[in-house]
Amino acid sequence: MDLFADLWMGFSVAVSPINIAYLLIGAMVGMIVGIIPGFGPSAGLAILLPITFGMDPIGAVMMLAAIYYGSMYGGTITSILLNTPGESATVASTFDGFPLAQQGRAGPALVMQAVASFVGGTIGVIMITLLAPAFSQVARNFGPPEYFLLAIMGLLTLVVMIGANWRYGLISVLIGFALGTVGVDLETGQGRFTFGSAELIGGIDFIPIAIGLFGLGELYYAFYQGLHASGSGSIVQYSKQSRFWPEARDWVETRVTMFRASLLGFVVGVIPGAGATIASLMAYSVERSVSKTPEKFGKGAMAGLVGPESANNAASSGAMIPLLTLGIPGSASTAVLLAAFLLWGLRPGPLLMEQNPEFAWGLIASMYLGNMALLAINIFAIPLFVWLVKIPYRVLAPAVVVVCTIGTFSVHGSITETWLMFVAGIVGFFMRLFGYSPAALVLALVLGPLAEEALRQTLTISRGSFWIFLERPGSLWIIAITIGILLLVPLMQRLGRPPKLDAASGEED
Amino acid sequence: MRIGFLFALLLISAFYTYVAFVELSFLTVSGRLGPGFFPRLIGVGLILLCLVSLPQDLRRMRLDDVMTGYWSVIAMMALLSGGLVMLFSIVGGTLAMAIFLLVTLSILNRGHHLQNLAIAVLLPAAIYYLFDVWLNASMPEGMISLPI
Repeated sequence: MDLFADLWMGFSVAVSPINIAYLLIGAMVGMIVGIIPGFGPSAGLAILLPITFGMDPIGAVMMLAAIYYGSMYGGTITSILLNTPGESATVASTFDGFPLAQQGRAGPALVMQAVASFVGGTIGVIMITLLAPAFSQVARNFGPPEYFLLAIMGLLTLVVMIGANWRYGLISVLIGFALGTVGVDLETGQGRFTFGSAELIGGIDFIPIAIGLFGLGELYYAFYQGLHASGSGSIVQYSKQSRFWPEARDWVETRVTMFRASLLGFVVGVIPGAGATIASLMAYSVERSVSKTPEKFGKGAMAGLVGPESANNAASSGAMIPLLTLGIPGSASTAVLLAAFLLWGLRPGPLLMEQNPEFAWGLIASMYLGNMALLAINIFAIPLFVWLVKIPYRVLAPAVVVVCTIGTFSVHGSITETWLMFVAGIVGFFMRLFGYSPAALVLALVLGPLAEEALRQTLTISRGSFWIFLERPGSLWIIAITIGILLLVPLMQRLGRPPKLDAASGEED
Repeated sequence: MRIGFLFALLLISAFYTYVAFVELSFLTVSGRLGPGFFPRLIGVGLILLCLVSLPQDLRRMRLDDVMTGYWSVIAMMALLSGGLVMLFSIVGGTLAMAIFLLVTLSILNRGHHLQNLAIAVLLPAAIYYLFDVWLNASMPEGMISLPI
């Protein structure tokens, strides 16, 4: 009963005219962020973070969270109409989404992806409502050894997802850790790698790095691939009048798929580092293997579109569990959300739901409302988004550069940070080109100081002995789960290999 | 180029590790782990991983290092983006954005003069209104600012 009382309290906090307005703006912006190829939710969130400084904390976090899960809805529109995923989590949606559009079924495909996203997102929020308090209870027994292992687990999961280029992934993680050590050491007060610069005493802020890597870096990479030269000539036309709505068979064929893929997506999303991309690819693979007509997959099977869509939205909800209950972000996007929480003095972790119930339950309640708003926006504002998709990249890209640059400057009013963002953009382009992982770098930059503090505390407790990690039940469980992930993920990736993988964005969310 | 990138990483890692070992202490005076403990672990790890990856990248160099992308466009965009940041300090945010958009669009979106001009005027105006007027957020003020 407490659960319903808490949720009711959350709705009472979330439902106010101004908060609903922020939620709708966030949902709309999220859709647009998802539509722009190479401009993922991490960059979108980081750029829009300064805009929320003047807002009420709950309204601001509701808006940022809506941008985060709204981008999952938007990314699919380009997957279906252009065969170009708006972001990596919607790559799997191209496999059957684009063939459906080519067969003249773009309308039903767009409506079904909206419904699938809604079902995935809503099941994900229901699971958060049911499981987050339990996770908080378990996490209360965690100490520094467990927090260190959780941070390492998230990063290792991200590295193992990279596959053959795992060395580059590890290098990316260590670069992120190295950047995180710049600034004054909080335990001793000694400056590290500041080289006498006053600007570096406070450390390297991760927002310019995130905007540079995911905003400018991805933009340069899109230019490298020639996106500016292709224009929008390959867009599939659709008619709102004829055959816009799905047929009865579409609903019948996919009714089980939506629920199965949502549950799978949520479980994958909870694992730090796994994220929506792997969830959607796994869901596609599972749906193809259980289908009575697997030969239709890749040629326009509705289940091939609905499965990944439900999974990536459920995974984005699932990723909120480690963020809210442990304070551990599982992806670059949730790392930006963590930064937003900290900016308003809210420390996510086991005590968040107890100490700030209005905030925690308000956010969860807003996710129910956000998914409903996104369903309506998705179906009724399709013409607007199709118009946006038609804007050529050569026109869109300079505007993105301007937004990235001014967004970075406005965080602290620092030209140095703006230059840092620019350098991060160039480095991000080369990282993307050569197979390194910008997402692992950003996540390591955020988790690095936490991991260092936890490791130093752990070794102080144990008087320098690493055996402490094997002496505590919590640590042992985390080590066992990490080993399981490291063994299972390559196996799952082999089983779930999609027909083709050509991500528009390298951002792992 | 791939090998050049890795080699640059190796050099930076070596410098980072050198500083971690020479300037940062492993233990504090009270015998606890000091500020050099974690950076030393990271530095050694980075050097080892770069060294392990070098042979693999050398093998790849012959196979896939022919990079056939739009390099000239990337170089131009990088140059113009850098110019935008530089212009922030000179002419301020709003004017810098307008100049950047006009120049970039004139190159990328040739022939659409009216459209380019409209974007170069309307977008900076909208951003100025959003950040400076509505949100009261920081906008770069240059040496030669607009009288607004």
